[in-house]
Amino acid sequence: MSAPLGFALTGLALAGASHPTVARWITEALGEPARRPVSVERLLDLTRAHLALAGIGLALVAVLGIGLGILVTRRFAEPWRPAIDGLAAAAQAVPPVVVVALALPVLGFGGPPTLLALVAYGIMPVLRGTAGAITGVPPEVREAGRAIGLTRLQILARIELPLAAPAIVETLRTALVLAIATAAVGALAGASTLGTPIVAGLQNQNTVAMLQGTAATAALAFLADAALLAAVAGWRVIRP
Amino acid sequence: MIVGTTDITPQGLSIGRVLPALVATAWLGALALALTRLPVLTIARNRLALGDSLTGSAALGGTAVLVLGMSALAIGLLVSRRSTASVIALFLLLPAILAFLHGLGTGAARSLAELSPAARAGLGSGSWLTLTLLTGALGLAVRHSRRPGLGLATGLGLILALVGLGWSGALDALSLAVEYAARRATVNAAIGEHIALAGTALVLAGLLAVGLALFRRGQGLVALILGGLQVVPAVALLGAMVAVMSGLLRAVPTLRELGLSALGPVPAIIAIAAYLALPLWRGLSLALRAPDDDTLQAAEALGLSPGQVLVRVRLPIGAPILVGAVRVAAVQGLGLATLGALVGAGGLGRIVFDGMAQFAPDLILLGAIPVVVLSLLTERGLSRLEAAARRRWHA
Repeated sequence: MSAPLGFALTGLALAGASHPTVARWITEALGEPARRPVSVERLLDLTRAHLALAGIGLALVAVLGIGLGILVTRRFAEPWRPAIDGLAAAAQAVPPVVVVALALPVLGFGGPPTLLALVAYGIMPVLRGTAGAITGVPPEVREAGRAIGLTRLQILARIELPLAAPAIVETLRTALVLAIATAAVGALAGASTLGTPIVAGLQNQNTVAMLQGTAATAALAFLADAALLAAVAGWRVIRP
Repeated sequence: MIVGTTDITPQGLSIGRVLPALVATAWLGALALALTRLPVLTIARNRLALGDSLTGSAALGGTAVLVLGMSALAIGLLVSRRSTASVIALFLLLPAILAFLHGLGTGAARSLAELSPAARAGLGSGSWLTLTLLTGALGLAVRHSRRPGLGLATGLGLILALVGLGWSGALDALSLAVEYAARRATVNAAIGEHIALAGTALVLAGLLAVGLALFRRGQGLVALILGGLQVVPAVALLGAMVAVMSGLLRAVPTLRELGLSALGPVPAIIAIAAYLALPLWRGLSLALRAPDDDTLQAAEALGLSPGQVLVRVRLPIGAPILVGAVRVAAVQGLGLATLGALVGAGGLGRIVFDGMAQFAPDLILLGAIPVVVLSLLTERGLSRLEAAARRRWHA
């Protein structure tokens, strides 16, 4: 069984487990009192909000991360590489929860601090991954492009990016998983996402709601990851 | 043959030459903005009220000019990229940072003098921007100086100077110091808890990784399961752990007598360890496969037993990879431990979450700063160890 299919099936199973009826069974099987489950409509609303937040964040991270990743591999930026790598390592030392917390007094409750955390934590791995993937393109291939008269921009578009694409997609997968996880953390700052029933459930000892949030968040992560893998596989079939 | 544009432009005009000067100018502009236009201090009636902003010129007076002058000189020296100039820049930036902090402390004390004891002087955006710009330049100066050991010395010097500054009482008027003074015991205990949480999870994940690396057949399955676990958001895994633990405790009540509970450090440690297992397991498998076949055959020909090959050949050669994996896992663990407070595991996350609940910025900072410092120290320390291992075994 391939990984995308496995992830998709796991995601579907978890999505099923987040249904109020199923979650109630599981809670009762665990011996907990099943109180006030989250309705399907509310779950769908939260899913939409979660996807919107994670989607905007991922788009920003992808554009900025890949763009800057391409920039730092240009010749003029070479002396800056160690400094950028150092910065990337430092940025990773500030976990998303901490960014959300620090941004809270400045940006207020809700989506904005979550979005900031998403971008702050996600951009550096994508930048580093893109730069690494482009640097990994064998110099002979680049030389060959030069020899047949391609300009620098053509070398980038026709040689470097296509060869680096698989590795860049891998870093985007990490960024996607990170975006969904950070959007869940955003519930702590009052963003309305699938993390909300988890946080509220933990505070009110409402195990059903907590389980539903847990299953739905994990389901979303698995399904999104599977969708990205499937999209890449489809792309390879169309343009081998 | 067509040559790229930067190759044919005269050297003085190429982007590579102009860029450092542009970045330096932008840096200096941002610093001037932070010191003169943005609020460096906010004076509020109490710890939760919104305050009035004070700009650098108002709060710091002459110190702002001094800091700006020293920084301008330092950044000018840094652009040259010469090693000696960078060392001089370093010795300009270090006192600039300390002068700025001292100025903030005295400025805050002066502003609070006529107000009620509940009034607070918090750091504003200008202060944060100034400190970020100055420490960034300090890092660059260390890098450009190309003197081994200078980075460590600068870091230690800065920490010692900061402790000295705090000890002397120069910063006492700043809201963060007031908040720390009020919660010293709690914060110190939380730092200990935080290290214990991350450390225990790291050890648990290490044991798990060793166990998983042992059975050869199932490596594909192990990769799939550990990789799948990484997809599960931490908030969700923590929630699931609590549900499973409470179910388990209900089914086997004797576990409760052992001190286990559904909320607390145990579910957090298990969840954190589940995430750390992947980098550690991956690092361990890569490290064990690091020596090439020739080396292994030579070791065998020398009559080394498989155990000796492991200890004398595989582990030393794989050591840098292994240390690198531990570095990644340790930094990740310290971050995840913050989230552990969500399920009552304690640690610095509890202070951060308390601050969020009260909307008290200083309380959030009081929890967040140690998390960041711990992560950075771990990152730096273990990457030094990694580099040392590489030098030692791959010279």
